[in-house]
Amino acid sequence: MTGPTLAALLTQFAPLAACAVVLLGLRARPRAAAAVAITGMAVSFAAAAGLVASVAVPDRPLLAQTVFLPVDAAHALSFGVLLDPLSTVMALVVATVTLAVMIYSTGYMRDDPGYARYYGFLSLFGWAMQGLVLSANLLQTLVFWELVGLASFLLIGFWFERPAPAAAARKAFLMTRVGDVGFLLGVLLLIRALGLATIPDLVAAAAPGGSLSPRLVTVTAALLLMGVIGKSAQGPLFTWLPDAMEGPTPVSALLHSATMVAAGVYLVARLHPFFLAAPAVMHGLLYLALATMLATATMAMVASDIKRVLAYSTISQLGYMLMALAAGSTAAGFFHLTTHAGFKALLFLSAGIFIHHAHTNEMRDINARDPLAQRAGVIGLVAGSAALAGIVPFSGYFSKEAILGALGTAAAPWVVALAYLGAGLTAYYAFRMVFLTLAQARGHADAGAHADGDASGHGGAPGARAMHGTVLVLAALTLVLGYLGPWLEARLAPGEAAHGPFTVGLGPAAALTLVAGGVALAWYEFGRQGAARVGFVERVPALARFFGDNWYLDRLYRATVIRWATALSRAAHWNDEKVVNGATDGLASGTVGGGRLLALIQNGYVQAYLAVVVTLIAVLAAVLDRLGLVR
Amino acid sequence: MMPLSAYLTVSVALFCIGLYGLVQRRSLIAMLIALELMLAAASLNVVALTTLASGAQGTLLLAPVGIGNRSSVGQVVALILIGVAAAEAAIALSLFVAIQRYASTINVEDLSELKG
Repeated sequence: MTGPTLAALLTQFAPLAACAVVLLGLRARPRAAAAVAITGMAVSFAAAAGLVASVAVPDRPLLAQTVFLPVDAAHALSFGVLLDPLSTVMALVVATVTLAVMIYSTGYMRDDPGYARYYGFLSLFGWAMQGLVLSANLLQTLVFWELVGLASFLLIGFWFERPAPAAAARKAFLMTRVGDVGFLLGVLLLIRALGLATIPDLVAAAAPGGSLSPRLVTVTAALLLMGVIGKSAQGPLFTWLPDAMEGPTPVSALLHSATMVAAGVYLVARLHPFFLAAPAVMHGLLYLALATMLATATMAMVASDIKRVLAYSTISQLGYMLMALAAGSTAAGFFHLTTHAGFKALLFLSAGIFIHHAHTNEMRDINARDPLAQRAGVIGLVAGSAALAGIVPFSGYFSKEAILGALGTAAAPWVVALAYLGAGLTAYYAFRMVFLTLAQARGHADAGAHADGDASGHGGAPGARAMHGTVLVLAALTLVLGYLGPWLEARLAPGEAAHGPFTVGLGPAAALTLVAGGVALAWYEFGRQGAARVGFVERVPALARFFGDNWYLDRLYRATVIRWATALSRAAHWNDEKVVNGATDGLASGTVGGGRLLALIQNGYVQAYLAVVVTLIAVLAAVLDRLGLVR
Repeated sequence: MMPLSAYLTVSVALFCIGLYGLVQRRSLIAMLIALELMLAAASLNVVALTTLASGAQGTLLLAPVGIGNRSSVGQVVALILIGVAAAEAAIALSLFVAIQRYASTINVEDLSELKG
C-alpha cells in the first residue's frame, strides 16, 4: 500500500471512526463527542492536504482498487480510491468546510440537548462525502451517494421533534430520491454493459470508438443526470433546498457548500468526458441550468428570510457550475464549486452569528437588533456577498469570469447574454440582503440602542470566539481562493486556453458593469438614507407572490404529483388493510371456526363413536351389496 | 331338524340386543355384558355357517364332534372364542376396577376427557 493510498483511506475513515465512537460511546458526554469528531475531521483534513501535496501538485494520478466480494468473472463488489487533482482538491475542500463547520458549531450548538448526536451525524456526513469524492467505481459512488442523502436527511431533520424540520427532511429525502431512481437505473445499465468498470474505464468506453454505443451513452448520461438534478437541486427538483433551511444553520452551511448539493456537480465533473460524449444531454443540461439559475435568482430577490435568500443563491450558483460543465469546461465549473464552497459556507456561518444573536431568520428583524455589534458577522457577510456578487478581488469574481468565458466560447449568444444578466441579478439580491440586514433604518434607532446593551453581554458569551474565528478565517479565504484558477485549469484541462486571473476584455468589463448596476440598484432601494426598503419586484404584488412562492412549483406539486401519490398510497393502504390483511385474517378465522365446528363431533362419548362406526359399516355393506360386490 | 335361517335369526337377534345394550347403557359393566352377547352371536354364526359349509345343503345337522368331520372345526373355533371372551372379560373387569379407583366412577358419560 503506497503512501497516497494510505492517506486516502485515512481521509475517509477518520470521520467514520469518529462517527462510530461518538454515536456508540459518547452520547452522554457532549464535550468529548465534539472533541472526538473534530479530531477525526482534522485527521481527515491533514490527510487530504497530504493527498493534494503528493498527488495533485506533481499531477500524478493514481488508481487503487481491491475486490471485496466477487460475483462472477466480470462482476464484483469492489472498493478503491481514484486519486487525481480533481478528487484530491475536492477532498480538501470537503475536509476544510466540514472542519470549519464543526469548530463553528462548538459555539452555535452549545447547550443543545442533541449536541453529541449532532457531531456524530456531522462525522457521518464527512465520511459519506469523502467516500463519494474518492470512490473509484460507479457502484461505490452509488453507495456513498445514498449515504450523503441519508446524512443530510438526518441533519436537516435534526430538530425532529418540531414538525417543520421533520417535514423538510422528508421532503429533501423524497425529492432527491426521485432523481436517484434515474441514477440507480443509469448505474445498473452501465454495470450491465461494462461489468466492474472503474471511472477511467467508463470514460474510455464512452469515448468515440469505445465499447459503449452512442445511444447507450446518451440514455445512461440522461439517467445519471436525473440523480444530479435531484442532488444539486436543479430544474423541477429544487424546491427541497429552500425548505432544508429548517436544519441548524451550520448544517445549511455544510449542505450548501461542500457536501450534499456539491455532490451532484462533482459527479458531473468526475464523469465529465463521459457526459460530453452525449452532446444532446449536455445541451439539455445547459438550458435547464440556465433556467434554474435565472428562476431562483428571481426568488432570491423577494425572499425575506436570510437563509432562504442564501438557499436560492446556492441553487442559482449551482446552475452556473452546471452551465460551465455543460458547455464543456471542467476547470471553470469545478473552480466555481471550490470558490463557492468557501464563500457560501462563510455566508451561512455569518448569517448564523446574526441568527444566534437575534433569534430570528427575518432580515428586517435582524436589522432591528443592531447586527453591527457582531463585527465578525458583518465582515463575513460583506466579504461573502462580494464574492457571491463577483466583485473584483474576491474569489467569486474569478470563477464567475471563468464560467462566463467558457460559455462565451461554447454557447449560443443569447445564452451568454442571459448568463450575464444572471450575474447582475446575483449582485442585486446579494446586496439587497446585505443592506436589508445591516443598514440601520432611522426608525429603528431605539431598538438598536436597546440591542446594543444586549449585544455586549452576548459578545462575551462562551463559544462566540469559535464562531467568530471560523468566520474570519473563511473571509480571508475568499480573498485567496480566486488565485487558484490557473493552477486548477492547468491540472484539469491542460488543453484549454488559460484564462488569467485578471483578463481585461469586453467580457469582464460587461460583467463588472452589470454587477455594479445591481449593487447600485440595491443601494438605491435598500441602502441609502431614507430608502423605501422595498424592492422593485415587491412593488408588483402578483409578481412578488409568484417569485416568493417558488414560482408556485410547490403548489403545482401539491395539486398534482403529491395528490396522486397520496391517493395511490391511500388505495394501497386500503388494499393492504382490507384485501391482503382481510384475506389472511379470513383464512385464519375460517380455520379456527371450522376447527370449532368439527370439534363438536369429538364430544368424548365412546358410545356416540360406536354408533357412528356401526352406522358407517352398515352403510358400507349396503352400498357394496347394491353394487354387487358381495355375493 | 332346524333350518339354517333359524340359527341365523337367533344370532342376529342376539347381536342386535347386544349392540343396543352397548350403545344405550352408560355403565361399563352393562356395556361389557352387551359385548359378551354380541360375541356369543358371532360364535353362533361361526358354528352354524361352518356346519353348512361342511355338507348338508339348506339344513343344518349338529353332528357330534370328531376327527374327520369338518363341521367340528367351527365348534372348536366357537370354544376358543368362549375362552377368548372369558379372558377379555377378566382384563376388562380389572380395567374397570382401575378406572373406578382413578375416577371414582365407571359411567362413560363422566369419563369423557378428550373433548376438542
